[in-house]
Amino acid sequence: MSRHDGRSTSLRRRPSRTVPALIVGILLLAAGVALVWLTIARLMNGTWSMVLQGPRDWLTGLTWNSAGAWGVGVGAVVVGVILLLCAIVPGGFSALPVRSPDGSDQAPVQEQETVMTRRAVAQLARARCGQIDGVSSVTATATGKRVHLNVKTSLRESGDLRARVTDTISEHLETAGLDPVPRVSATIQSNA
Amino acid sequence: MRQTAGTLNRTWLTILGIIVLAAGIGLLLQASGQLHSLANTAPSSERVVTGDLHAVTSPQWVVVVILIAGIIVGVLGLLWMLAQVPRKNAADTYRLHDDGAQGFTVCDPSVLATAVENQVNTLPGVVTSSALLRGTATDPDLTLKVTVNDRTDVQDLIHRIQTSTLPDLSNALETPLQKSRLQIDVSGRTQGTGTVVHSTGTVLQ
Repeated sequence: MSRHDGRSTSLRRRPSRTVPALIVGILLLAAGVALVWLTIARLMNGTWSMVLQGPRDWLTGLTWNSAGAWGVGVGAVVVGVILLLCAIVPGGFSALPVRSPDGSDQAPVQEQETVMTRRAVAQLARARCGQIDGVSSVTATATGKRVHLNVKTSLRESGDLRARVTDTISEHLETAGLDPVPRVSATIQSNA
Repeated sequence: MRQTAGTLNRTWLTILGIIVLAAGIGLLLQASGQLHSLANTAPSSERVVTGDLHAVTSPQWVVVVILIAGIIVGVLGLLWMLAQVPRKNAADTYRLHDDGAQGFTVCDPSVLATAVENQVNTLPGVVTSSALLRGTATDPDLTLKVTVNDRTDVQDLIHRIQTSTLPDLSNALETPLQKSRLQIDVSGRTQGTGTVVHSTGTVLQ
């Protein structure tokens, strides 16, 4: 709709609902192709295709309060609710905002936006966590508001490792300029 | 960097969702007989198709209407699917000076984007970068994706871009940038060279 105006759009986006749009698009295309094929066959042969015989018999025998009508109604309500949920549920942001350093207002730009992708935030946290003493291996995941680390340690007594990890990563992300700083949590597993 | 059809998708999913939901609720009300008492529609015990279905669909004009409807539905579905392909929507050729009496000066935005990438790639910690210009020569937008290694000072990098790269681009275009969007990504490979020093166990005093 508005993406062809030649301007840049925000890099901090919510999901674009590509999967439901593709599914509905395919269904619409299939319905269109079926209608065109049936009508062209009707125009060429003079009679409707035998494929329609079953649905026609079902429809002519259908009463409003039959199980078939109830089923179609319930199905339509379910599909409608799913489509509305796909459109309305906002979903998480794809990237986290990063503050500009002091003096950046001198740049010859009227509007600035700096973001770091969620994958980048997770990678940054993972790499920094790997440098903490006592950490054997680590995996990290990041959402728009929080970062979670799964830490494996060879220490028998993990002690204050969790606090050291969360404090260090929070400080590191704050230094990187993430604003607001995502909440950091950690799970410690001892493999000693 | 690339733009997707998020607004289009949300709009049409909402419209179709409301239509299908309304149809479903109407059908359930009709099936339960409540619509009959409210709007005096057909009783719920009556058949859905009361007339001769064959007679209704026999005329040639009905077939043509169904054919046109099928074409419209199919084309709309196809266009909606094609809209899902992410697009760069890069700027057309910039007309830096378009006074015919003094000649024309045009510039391919990809040339400027390459110059920006080359400059950003020399900054400390940058693994790779990708720049894209949109807008016009008098109203330019820059979208920049920079991939850095995991030991880069991100704030310093942003400062360098804002105090060197953006002014240089602005000087080249002789106009301030309308928008500058910077996306920072971090390379999956942990840096093993440069500032990393592996301990040998010997402490030098």
